[in-house]
Amino acid sequence: MMRSDAEPKARGALEYGTDLEAPGMLWAALVRSPVAHGRIVHMDLAGARKMPGVVAVVGPDDLRTLLPKAALEVERPVFPLQEIRYRGEPVAAVAAETLAQARRAAAAVAVEVESLRVDARIEDIFPEWPSAAAADDPHVVGHVHARHGDVDGKFRTAELVHSETYRTSGVHQVALEPHACLGEIRDGTFCIRTSTQTPFGLREDVASVLGIPEAKLLVEGSWVGGGFGGKGSAFIEPYALLLAVASGRPVKLALTYAEEFELGRTTLPAVIRLDTAVARGRIVARRVRLLLDTGASLPGRDFAVGYSIGFLLGPYRTEAYDIEGYALRTNKPPFGPHRAPFAPQSVFALESHIDGLARRLGADPIEFRKIHAWRENDRTAYDQPVGPFGLEAGLEAAARTAAVWRTGIPAGHGIGVACGFWSTGVGAGGEARLFLQPDGLVILEGEREIGNGSVVRGLSVVAQRVLGLPANAIRIQYGDTATAPFDSGVYGSRTLAALGQAVEKAARALEKTLATRVGAPQVRLETKNGQVLVVSGRRRQKLVDLLTPAERAAGGLEAHGKHYGAEKKVDASRVLEGTVYPYNDFAASVHLVEVAVDRETGHIGIVRYAAFQDVGTAVDRPAVEAQVEGGVVMGLGTALSEEMMWTPDGRLLNPGLLDYRLPRIRDAPPIHVDLIEGFAGAGPFGAKGIGEPPIIPVPAAVANAVADATGTRVFELPLTPERVARALKLL
Amino acid sequence: MSSLVAHRKAINRRPVGVRVSFQLVQPATPEEAVRLLAGASAGQMSVLGGGTDLLIDIDQARASPRQVLSLRKMPWRYLRWEGSSLVVGSTLPLRTLELDRRVQQQLPGLWEAIRDVGSPALRARATLGGNVGRCSPASDLLPMLIALDARVRILGPSGVREHPVDLVLQESRKTNLGPAELIESLIFPSAAPSTYMWQRVQPVNDISQVGVATAYLPDAPHWRIALGGLQPRARRLSEAEAVLRSARPTHLEQELAAQEAARRAEFVSDKRATESYRRRLVAVMVRRALQTTIDRMPRPAAARKPSR
Repeated sequence: MMRSDAEPKARGALEYGTDLEAPGMLWAALVRSPVAHGRIVHMDLAGARKMPGVVAVVGPDDLRTLLPKAALEVERPVFPLQEIRYRGEPVAAVAAETLAQARRAAAAVAVEVESLRVDARIEDIFPEWPSAAAADDPHVVGHVHARHGDVDGKFRTAELVHSETYRTSGVHQVALEPHACLGEIRDGTFCIRTSTQTPFGLREDVASVLGIPEAKLLVEGSWVGGGFGGKGSAFIEPYALLLAVASGRPVKLALTYAEEFELGRTTLPAVIRLDTAVARGRIVARRVRLLLDTGASLPGRDFAVGYSIGFLLGPYRTEAYDIEGYALRTNKPPFGPHRAPFAPQSVFALESHIDGLARRLGADPIEFRKIHAWRENDRTAYDQPVGPFGLEAGLEAAARTAAVWRTGIPAGHGIGVACGFWSTGVGAGGEARLFLQPDGLVILEGEREIGNGSVVRGLSVVAQRVLGLPANAIRIQYGDTATAPFDSGVYGSRTLAALGQAVEKAARALEKTLATRVGAPQVRLETKNGQVLVVSGRRRQKLVDLLTPAERAAGGLEAHGKHYGAEKKVDASRVLEGTVYPYNDFAASVHLVEVAVDRETGHIGIVRYAAFQDVGTAVDRPAVEAQVEGGVVMGLGTALSEEMMWTPDGRLLNPGLLDYRLPRIRDAPPIHVDLIEGFAGAGPFGAKGIGEPPIIPVPAAVANAVADATGTRVFELPLTPERVARALKLL
Repeated sequence: MSSLVAHRKAINRRPVGVRVSFQLVQPATPEEAVRLLAGASAGQMSVLGGGTDLLIDIDQARASPRQVLSLRKMPWRYLRWEGSSLVVGSTLPLRTLELDRRVQQQLPGLWEAIRDVGSPALRARATLGGNVGRCSPASDLLPMLIALDARVRILGPSGVREHPVDLVLQESRKTNLGPAELIESLIFPSAAPSTYMWQRVQPVNDISQVGVATAYLPDAPHWRIALGGLQPRARRLSEAEAVLRSARPTHLEQELAAQEAARRAEFVSDKRATESYRRRLVAVMVRRALQTTIDRMPRPAAARKPSR
């Protein structure tokens, strides 16, 4: 079954952010800070204004004049009005007739800066775990602390305490398409066309940054060349709109790929300390300490810690715990989400720790996990009930495969397992509008397909399964935030799992209306000669004959569906400081990998991979399998080679794909995908989200396989050959 | 603590991402090419072979030539065997060498070095001449050319000269070619059991942390060991070669040669690897490359021993 967007994408017919154009359009370029921390002493924009082709140059002073409310924004300043917070932070912007003119003018702006002390790395701020007084440290911008049970008592009486510290690195989303947008002012309305995962979220965010009412901002998504979490909140859009205000013309801004790396809001490094107390061969208590670099910290930095920290308890029964995390401000671009934000990193630490603990106890790593695994109706650390959850089933399937792999395994090879869990179908909610026309069904959508198929395939398949229409009779029409129904966006493994529920409701409403009209208990739809037929029993009627005159005039029958998930709660009595977040549907992942380790160089080869993935119901099996394969390959990048390298003075050493090493197709091992069905989620037909879960356990599985092969554990991501060589004490 | 520093960007420098315009010159014959180069003012004309290196420098604003002289029409896209020696025209795409069975059989180390350069698309453009002419420390081919004792045939205003590649290469981006000289061809004097090994974080489109080339040549000194991944350019390690006294050195000799190579090589630490890790890699990879090269030698039937 060919996806409806495949052929036009292959022809290059679809308009991505970088393709956006408008008559009279100008090109924008950003003037960027030469230091990572400092104050602007003087910036001369006059020279740039006189350069050929330049139409508008805007700096902090112009912001005050053009959008005075935006100039009051301190947390997310368009330009740094007080302090430059990271190297490359935009300090001014230029619009010119051509891109080259804009870039030349931006490069010609002389910026005089008073340099301040740069804190680019966690270890420079807190070389040791911070004391209680750290909460007052100016670098601490978020603090979360939760506690439950008699932690101290259990650690005191424990037979064994397993203590380790893990470190993780910054990883970038590396969407193929860089951020690109086109801003213009039409009849007093701020209009932005942009490559985004969340048109409605962006409307709220950009309006807030610019200090304009949401009603005066219109967002229209372009097709998206990959998101992976990097195309959510306001980022480059305010600059394009500000320049559009200044110039009175449409302004296009597209980042270069170096800018993608230097400005991008990505996963940043972390230090994770884990202590686990064991009694009678079981885990009885855990202490978790997390230091998370949140860079120039956007609002929501508490979320990064409060959401991540729960993953450090894992999908395991834990009688007592004490978890504490700090979000630290450093002179780097702000922390941002990356496919399953921070979960692969948390899970790398936790699942390495559990694996090492199992080996220390002489237990089988899979069996040891099974003893502690959540089952349905267990309670999470924050006392939420666990719904249908395929972890145990996944572990059993993995154990069978591991036993097969284990026979005849060559020397130097190792097998590793890791589990992950994720909360899918999140977000405030979404609405769907469906139009059943005489020749087919139209789904009206605010978000474009971002590549994974959840919009063009997922939503269509839901409607298809409810109504019985063939795929070629279903079309998706994209609107902007003024015309399309609200939805939270394409993120959080929620498109099918949450928005799909709205589509399902709307489709069921259509079915019910038609059943009533033909006087049958239920109907299904089919097409013949381009006409939609309503089938009830042996009767077939043309849809057009069942429409009222008003519906015929309007072009068809319309139905709405809404899905706003019920509010989930955590037990607040367990939270001493900050906020922790409730989970939605639980999806389990159990991954198995065989590696070959070169014991003389530390090089890791991935021999084969198996992913046992709890998906509820695979509504669209090929798309689900593709998501699992893609998640595994992307996770192998985090595991083996992807690492943003900053100098102590906040300069990114590898702002490009030569030295930021993304996996390529030649790096993809044979991947066996085993979908575990039957543990239903709340999504349509029991589906759970699949976008994020498959990336989560990958780095941990690889690290555990390396430990199996060599008897040596690597405590830092990524597992580059040199890091492995050091762990093996080769140098 | 703070200090007042002024950051001013030079207005004249072309920012990255801004296209430069240059005049493309396409001479029809080598003689015309040499004449054009001789007539150009210093530093204004760049020579374009496959363009896989030059065009990136232009794009990244590291080079802004006024004129670019294309070698497209030069009659140098050839490969021919003269007895057991191989002559390769300087503008022949690497891909042609990669797909040549005889190259693979008779110069296996050269074939290995070529096979893992960039991607197939890049190898369809990149050339041996370009690798020598640009003299990049990142080149995977230069250590192998040095180990195979390749000779470079150079055409210039005063005719043709021929030198060993090790003499032509000087330092990063610098050769002993005169301003109006062009590389016409490379000559590999003889077929040779040879091996090229690299270590990269990723197998494709990455820069080698270390490259090791070994070859056993008919002429003394027979064993050649050359390293890449070091500054300012790939180099031969005669001290390590000297440890190897026979066609089939013992394991101990191989190990000693590898250690000598690791001791002698002058590495730097950079974002791709530390100095100590590179040294470690050399110690391992030289030993492995020597063993592979020995395994590739034709074995006299009578002397064949059971393999270990």
